[in-house]
Amino acid sequence: MTNKLTLLDVDRDGAIEETFARINRETDRSGFLKRAGILAGGIMGGGAVLGALARPAGAATATDVAIANFALTLEYLEAEFYTQAEASGALSGKLATFVQVVGEHERVHVDALKKMLGSAAVAKPTFDFKGTTDEEGAFSETAQLLEDTGVAAYAGQAPRVETDAILNAALAIHTVEARHASWIRHINGNPPAPEAFDKAMSMDAILTAVQGTGFITSKPSMTGSGDPSFTG
Amino acid sequence: MINRLATRQGGLTAALALLVVALVAGLYLYEPRVDDGRVSLPLPGVTAAPEPVRPAGPEQLSDPDGVSRFASVQAPVVAFREPVRGSKVTGKLGRLTPEGTDNIVLALEQVERDGQDWVRVRLPVLPNNSTGWVPREALGFYNEIETRLVVSKQDLQATLYRGGKKIWSAPVGIGLDKWPTPRGEYYVRNKLEKYSSPMYGPIAFGTSARSAVLTDWPAGGFVGIHGTDRPDLLPGKVSHGCIRLRNEDILALAELMSPGTPLSIV
Repeated sequence: MTNKLTLLDVDRDGAIEETFARINRETDRSGFLKRAGILAGGIMGGGAVLGALARPAGAATATDVAIANFALTLEYLEAEFYTQAEASGALSGKLATFVQVVGEHERVHVDALKKMLGSAAVAKPTFDFKGTTDEEGAFSETAQLLEDTGVAAYAGQAPRVETDAILNAALAIHTVEARHASWIRHINGNPPAPEAFDKAMSMDAILTAVQGTGFITSKPSMTGSGDPSFTG
Repeated sequence: MINRLATRQGGLTAALALLVVALVAGLYLYEPRVDDGRVSLPLPGVTAAPEPVRPAGPEQLSDPDGVSRFASVQAPVVAFREPVRGSKVTGKLGRLTPEGTDNIVLALEQVERDGQDWVRVRLPVLPNNSTGWVPREALGFYNEIETRLVVSKQDLQATLYRGGKKIWSAPVGIGLDKWPTPRGEYYVRNKLEKYSSPMYGPIAFGTSARSAVLTDWPAGGFVGIHGTDRPDLLPGKVSHGCIRLRNEDILALAELMSPGTPLSIV
């Protein structure tokens, strides 16, 4: 077991797939204005976790919607990973406890972010975890990668957040992700807090890293069957 | 149990949250440089890990003789002349093509400006050959492709290259002089099949090229690459601007070429 593994090391030969995320939404102003209303309503009607933390967005920016959708896609990935791992029945002892607790957290994160974003929420991608949910060693190593990456992703986006409600939500999730990372690192026999300062990762770096895993199998649909409208 | 723990540890959680807020505020003050997984904090006495050097100029994403990259548009987005919001708009991109397939763009280069990654993409708009900068997050994952299609109007010939090596060639029909096939740099953006119209043959590729003359054509006059029900006319100047191939040639091409392939009409 290594504690230096990164997502970039996992299955670089796996399919490089499109549509990791419907990460981002409009960045034009008209789209933002529509979404700001959606977002505000979504937060007001959100679940217990975010409802207690968030304030009505009021003036969420397009960048914030993009960041929230970026976070949602990471949460989709984590939630599905733990759900599949729990369903496999392959985990026991500390790992079984970990997957039950953390899996529930990630599913709650997904629900909360979806409610916050309302109709602006990105769709859930499809996943292929390549057997890492069916075997304890592969699971624990991958779980550490995902949690470390999640912590770095939230840290990378926090300075970009412009709306207090979104920042509050992001911080509330970020600290929990850090606990998950420490927990699985401890189980794996790695230092729970290896450095004094965590390393943030940019959105592009996260995209590249997750793309490299091949875990996300959605592809753009580039083939159709309608009559062509080309000039002929 | 989780709820009970959360209640018992509420005070500690709040304190930690404040600590995180303070740290984040500190990051603002110290203006960390976030770069490919590393952050440097210019704090006295703190030695950060060496940062990878990121090129100051744009990073090339597509090489005509090597690997090119394309990505889907995640939601409607405006493209700018410069990698700066507020600069002149050079085009708008929707999520879907007129044929209902995911809208993809060829990614040419990427640059970071004030913490924001921008990508210069080729645009399916008039005037032809337009490009524009969009935020990186407006696009999905990069897909890599090694093919490149070149259509010579002079030779009435289409040639497909992979990794710079010729792998296929066939005669073509192009636009009549009054409806010329536009020269320039484009990309293939979708593939249609199982449609009812026989005039397009068995397969039709959509491209980002548009007729500069037939602008009122349905969907805006996009140039396609497709089969035909009049193979006797090929090769020649016979179309409204589209690139026509014999049906056996378009079928062979479809085995070798996917959407995302850069297209040069010379």
